Amino acid sequence: MDDSVIISNAFHHVAWGTPISIYFWLVGASAGSFVLSAFGWVFGIKRYKPLALSASILAIVMLLIVPVLLIWDLGKPLRFIYLMLPGYWHSTGPMAWGALLIMSYPVSMFIYVYFVVKNDQFWARFVGIIAIVLALSTHWYTGVVMELNPGRYINHTALAPLLFLTGAFISGIGLMIIVLWIQNFFVRPEKRIEWSLMEEMAQYMMYGIVFDIFLLYLDFMQTHYGTESEMLGHGEVLMGIFNFPYVWLETVIGLFIPLAILVSPLKRTRLGVYGASFLVAFGVYGMRIWWVMGGQYLQSFY
Amino acid sequence: MVIDLRKCIGCMSCVVACKAEYGVPLGVWRTWVKVADKGRYPHTKRVFMPRLCNHCDYPICVRNCPTQATFKNEDGFVLQRYNRCIGCRTCVVACPYNARHLLPEARKGKNLPRLVVDKCTFCIHRVKKGLVPACVQACVGGARIFGDLNDPKSQVAKLVSKEQVSVLKPELGTSPSVYYIGGDWAIMDENHSYKFRSRQLVEEFNTFKKNHFGDAFADIVEGESTMYWVGKNMADFIASIPHKAAGVFNAFKKLIFG
Amino acid sequence: MSKINRRDFLKVGAATTAVAACPGVGSAMELKLGGEDFHQIRTFHPRARAPYLCTMCPYFDGGYTYAEDGEIQKVEGDPNHVATRGKFCSKGLASFFGASDPDRILAPLKRTGPRGSGQWQEISWKDAIAEVAGKVQKALDKGADTVHLNEGAFKDGGTVRFMDTIGSSSVIRSRFPSINNAAKQAATEKALGVDFVLPDLEHTQYVLNFGSNILETAAPLAQRLTDGMVEQKLKLITFDVRMSHTAGRSDEWHPVFPGSDGIVALAMANVIMEKGLADKQFIGYWTDYTTDQLAEHLKQFTLKKAAKASGVAAQDIKRIAIEFAKAGSGAVLSQNGVSYHQGGVDAETACLLLAVITGNIDTEGGNCLPRKFNIATLQPAPEPKGSAVRKLNHSFPFEVKEGARKVEVLFNHMSNPAYSSPAASVWREVLKDEKLIPYIVDFSPFMSETSELADIILPDVVGVERDDVASSPTALFPWISMTRPQFKPRGRAQDVRVTLKKIVEAIDADGSKGMKQYWAFSDAKTWVKKQIEATEGIDKKKTYKTLKKKGAWPSYGKIGPGGRKIVKKKEVIEAEYNTFHTEGLPTPSGRVEIPLPSWNPNPRLADLKPGEFVLSTFKVAYQSLSLTANLKLLSEMWHSNPLWINKEVAHKLGIEDGALVRVTSDVGYLVTKAWVTQGIHPQVVGISTSVGRSAYGRVAQANPRAHAPFAHEEQEDEDIDHNLWWRDGGTNPNDIIPIALDPQSGVQAWNDTVVKVTPAESGDKYGDINVDNAKHLAIYKKSLG
Ligand SMILES: Nc1nc2c(c(=O)[nH]1)N[C@H]1C(S)=C(S)[C@@H](COP(=O)(O)OP(=O)(O)OC[C@H]3O[C@@H](n4cnc5c(=O)[nH]c(N)nc54)[C@H](O)[C@@H]3O)O[C@H]1N2
Ligand SMILES: Nc1nc2c(c(=O)[nH]1)N[C@H]1C(S)=C(S)[C@@H](COP(=O)(O)OP(=O)(O)OC[C@H]3O[C@@H](n4cnc5c(=O)[nH]c(N)nc54)[C@H](O)[C@@H]3O)O[C@H]1N2
Ligand code: SF4
Ligand code: SF4
Ligand code: SF4
Ligand code: SF4
Ligand code: SF4
Ligand SMILES: [Mo]
Repeated sequence: MDDSVIISNAFHHVAWGTPISIYFWLVGASAGSFVLSAFGWVFGIKRYKPLALSASILAIVMLLIVPVLLIWDLGKPLRFIYLMLPGYWHSTGPMAWGALLIMSYPVSMFIYVYFVVKNDQFWARFVGIIAIVLALSTHWYTGVVMELNPGRYINHTALAPLLFLTGAFISGIGLMIIVLWIQNFFVRPEKRIEWSLMEEMAQYMMYGIVFDIFLLYLDFMQTHYGTESEMLGHGEVLMGIFNFPYVWLETVIGLFIPLAILVSPLKRTRLGVYGASFLVAFGVYGMRIWWVMGGQYLQSFY
Repeated sequence: MVIDLRKCIGCMSCVVACKAEYGVPLGVWRTWVKVADKGRYPHTKRVFMPRLCNHCDYPICVRNCPTQATFKNEDGFVLQRYNRCIGCRTCVVACPYNARHLLPEARKGKNLPRLVVDKCTFCIHRVKKGLVPACVQACVGGARIFGDLNDPKSQVAKLVSKEQVSVLKPELGTSPSVYYIGGDWAIMDENHSYKFRSRQLVEEFNTFKKNHFGDAFADIVEGESTMYWVGKNMADFIASIPHKAAGVFNAFKKLIFG
Repeated sequence: MSKINRRDFLKVGAATTAVAACPGVGSAMELKLGGEDFHQIRTFHPRARAPYLCTMCPYFDGGYTYAEDGEIQKVEGDPNHVATRGKFCSKGLASFFGASDPDRILAPLKRTGPRGSGQWQEISWKDAIAEVAGKVQKALDKGADTVHLNEGAFKDGGTVRFMDTIGSSSVIRSRFPSINNAAKQAATEKALGVDFVLPDLEHTQYVLNFGSNILETAAPLAQRLTDGMVEQKLKLITFDVRMSHTAGRSDEWHPVFPGSDGIVALAMANVIMEKGLADKQFIGYWTDYTTDQLAEHLKQFTLKKAAKASGVAAQDIKRIAIEFAKAGSGAVLSQNGVSYHQGGVDAETACLLLAVITGNIDTEGGNCLPRKFNIATLQPAPEPKGSAVRKLNHSFPFEVKEGARKVEVLFNHMSNPAYSSPAASVWREVLKDEKLIPYIVDFSPFMSETSELADIILPDVVGVERDDVASSPTALFPWISMTRPQFKPRGRAQDVRVTLKKIVEAIDADGSKGMKQYWAFSDAKTWVKKQIEATEGIDKKKTYKTLKKKGAWPSYGKIGPGGRKIVKKKEVIEAEYNTFHTEGLPTPSGRVEIPLPSWNPNPRLADLKPGEFVLSTFKVAYQSLSLTANLKLLSEMWHSNPLWINKEVAHKLGIEDGALVRVTSDVGYLVTKAWVTQGIHPQVVGISTSVGRSAYGRVAQANPRAHAPFAHEEQEDEDIDHNLWWRDGGTNPNDIIPIALDPQSGVQAWNDTVVKVTPAESGDKYGDINVDNAKHLAIYKKSLG
């Protein structure tokens, strides 16, 4: 075995890179924050109503960066319109669905924000439900778009959408907490978001982290005890080349350290909550990197 | 197509013929030949494996393309419609065989496609005219054989029924149309390719990633900081925006002012 | 496009073609191999076709150029050519890019700064011709032999005629004008009276390959070998010091100690004689000695001796010898691996002897006599001057340095000694010295390492622009092929024959010196036409016409679909064998005049000390010395030439794959990367040639910014400027290779250099070369005795 070497081959680029992984992160964080925003108006948890506006605006802003990344990353940016033209649109292509979702999700958010501002509970709730489905679907599809590539063994797992959604949920909350903290400096005292709400959000985040660790563990099991390709992809590519984003950024910085903070007395301190939120939001970006680029890496030598 | 590895001598005529036929730019390939050395001195052998699009019966690239830019025609060829392709590279990610590439913007030849995805077309423009594909034409060893598998009298059909053939990654269910005779695990297996790539090959690949503008902003250079390259890729991406914007602007200008 | 049909693959192929059934020659429904071409996007738009002759190596494969939009778009082999059979190797296929190379020289260049400074000025042809003619005129006053020609073409392109015209005998060659090297030619010429033997690889049962890398260096033979491997199930045994593609694809690869092929072949011959497996009848009838005499002589070459010298196990040598003799038919291949040593002629003779004693001479599956047309020279032709010096002469720079040769003007044609010759650093030193060589004229279309040192460059046309004709003995059927350019030369490039004609006309304006008469042709096209018409054995009426249209003559039939047999009117055309049986061989006696062989080991190699290696330099499939230096598609595949070193040995020396190493010969050292491999003899290290360029431009130098001077804008290639991704351009081994000429044939013993390999020292950079030309000179002087 040792004495068999590949001495020449063509070279292949990994096809989706940094812009796409940032885009995945943004879409996720957007969906996460939007879910928070919907707590008050859609699920009727009154305490959350005050943050609905900032949360949806954050979600919208992030989603406005997305098309820039996506469209400019296309070889032919002007042709992005083909993604939606009848006659071009392709029902079996996950991207084609994604395009529809990415277009309709912000629209529904805009309408939702409109009713929130008008303080129209019925319509806000009605549109909010639609928007939440779209938000989740938008992020679900990013998982699917990677999952439906049987040749990319790391990505080819039914866990993909769940991993993405969980990541979205925790990164959304993390980001939201940071944003609210900053927002609190700029608004009148009575409009400030209470600390107890933040603590509660951190609590949700913690549950999310636990679930995410569980999912990662499942994924780890599959790849670690999987086919040769899975083992190689996990053992050499993720643990090797993508060691920093995979092991350190996502798992240690993004999950375990925040978890440790949130189960310790630190969770009552502001530093603890803000710190954990920041780490989570940032750590999830690590996952987007290894997931997008690491998954394709092994094959670039084939 | 049948590739008789017993006859392949690694001359790379196929690669050059294909590149010349289509003006394929440097750094991307429609077809290439992998080379491996096997065994321990003095019991050493060299194996070659030509690679190209498999024109799968169940092509994942076609399934995943959002705009139907890539499609399977009625004769079984998997083809590209350049004027539909948006360059999203979904198909590149989808293809388990690395058969696709994004064409760079800089290339020789005025009217040739740019910044869209391309791949082996089985030389349909030649086959329709009753000629074998360019790589088959050029194959010095006579290792590449092309024809109609449905015609029992054809050379390919005879070979497939007579010899032991194998396809790449059969477990993926893509049902490739490129059959190999005399395949050797030492070179056909993808994991092997990764595990036993020579160190010089990795070095060379690193050089490639540093100097070839892949337009995907995804190149991670092995042995250097992953996060540095992620950052650099993002910086390159941002730097490329004005250039692309100019392209879009020009396209609009052309559209409006003719 | 949601539903994908079941396998209904390629109905179209069957529907659009109807090829007549040829019994026993493959299937009826095959697609055509070529002969026409269409645009890839503007489909069904046929491209203009013209005959083309590849001159990237001496096999001269015949094919076609295809043009569109005023440019050659591609070339390919002629599918009905008896030798090429439609197949060009990668070098041939890429060759046409030379025309559009952005670093090509498109106008006469005159040096403005000091020699080698890279400062040039474009001048007009008129001025250029006047200047060169003036210099030649002046030199002629000092004696015709002060005008020298360094010739590298595989055949005469007019330059030698020019030397004859002006009465100079100082023609030296950097490259042997045949598909053989000089040593092999000397051996075959002596024994069989012919300059080449063609192994009949499609029909043979057994191939003994001594030091020939046929799969990489000879497309017409390689394709026959693969056919034989699969269809005939022939057995291929390769003796080589390293695992070339050929060795790696052989049934058996025996790594031999360098320079020991001769004794291995002789030991095999001994076994064959001893076991009574020789073709006694053939020996008795066709050679000058009896079987017993021969057997007696061969007795000294024992298996033990051979095994000791070569490292190949005695029982293997014995087994192979017996298998070969019993195989029914067998072909012996030998090439540079055998010849490029001291005593190369003896070793080649030994290899040839194996074919002779088994009677495999001009038999089916044996070693056949060459079949070709001798292309005539243009008439009237000047009297050849001093043909004795028209051979390889790598000692030229030493002779100039020593004052043994007086040079006023040096012409250089299709040769790049500053890179390709042994002691290349000495060449550069001498070429740079204006006192030793006052005036250098180069005809190169590219800025080679030699052109850089010239005083004036008169750019020749490149392959696809040149009117040309050739015949090479690469098939069992003789053929003629030609090139007909589709377009005028680019820029102001001009065919060297026209340039020379103008120089002659300037020297001998009124014809009074009797020179002008030999240059009475209007252009290269008429030159070729006259050549063909004067050639013996052609059809006076038809040949030229057919050639113009089809590119090859005569037509024996079509190469059948599927198989590669020649078919005419549904019948397979078979080659003739035993052609010499009626009239005898072209030797003085008409019989085989093979000398009783001998073998003398090279003492330097025989006592190799630990830590010393024999440096082998070899060719790779994707480059052809300097002819391919600047072709992007080839350099993309092959641009770096690390030092091959055996894994176990490297391990002992503490050298890892990719590590920098110093390779030190008697004259100096170079620093390169190690390629640690299982595929090389432990006492050998190898470096390929053709890469490691300091001139030529972007592609050859692996640097998109290394523009050659006067790169022309209309030739720009965005692909090269933006997509050229490799940066490792390799190292040239020829500076550290001292001169070592085989006295019998004059060939350089390329594969005899002894080197030490050590890990690089601190301060060593990749690509460093440090040699002492005084040591080169000392070695040269010592070789004179
Ligand atoms: N170390 C080592 N060195 C070797 C060998 C080896 O095995 N090892 N092999 C040796 C052998 S076998 C040979 S044959 C020699 C060959 O060595 P040379 O005879 O010196 O030939 P090249 O180096 O190919 O140089 C050819 C020159 O012709 C120019 N040229 C290219 N096309 C044209 C054209 O169309 N017209 C004109 N006028 N010029 C053109 C090129 O720019 C180049 O400068 O090298 C020898 N050198
Ligand atoms: N691709 C390509 N083809 C070419 C050329 C080219 O430059 N490139 N050049 C053309 C020319 S000019 C020539 S002369 C021919 C040369 O064609 P070849 O003779 O086939 O090629 P080389 O690489 O010179 O040498 C052949 C082999 O000899 C081996 N060798 C070295 N020393 C020994 C030894 O002591 N014993 C044995 N048994 N083997 C040994 C080397 O490892 C090498 O593999 O090719 C022609 N064709
Ligand atoms: S090999 Fe790849 S590109 Fe070709 S048809 Fe199959 S999936 Fe598509
Ligand atoms: S790059 Fe082009 S062909 Fe590929 S999936 Fe996107 S639109 Fe389809
Ligand atoms: S079939 Fe045509 S396009 Fe495909 S690899 Fe061969 S030459 Fe290239
Ligand atoms: S042309 Fe044929 S023999 Fe040569 S490398 Fe390609 S497939 Fe192999
Ligand atoms: S073997 Fe290659 S380089 Fe030589 S003549 Fe044929 S095509 Fe040209
Ligand atoms: Mo040569």
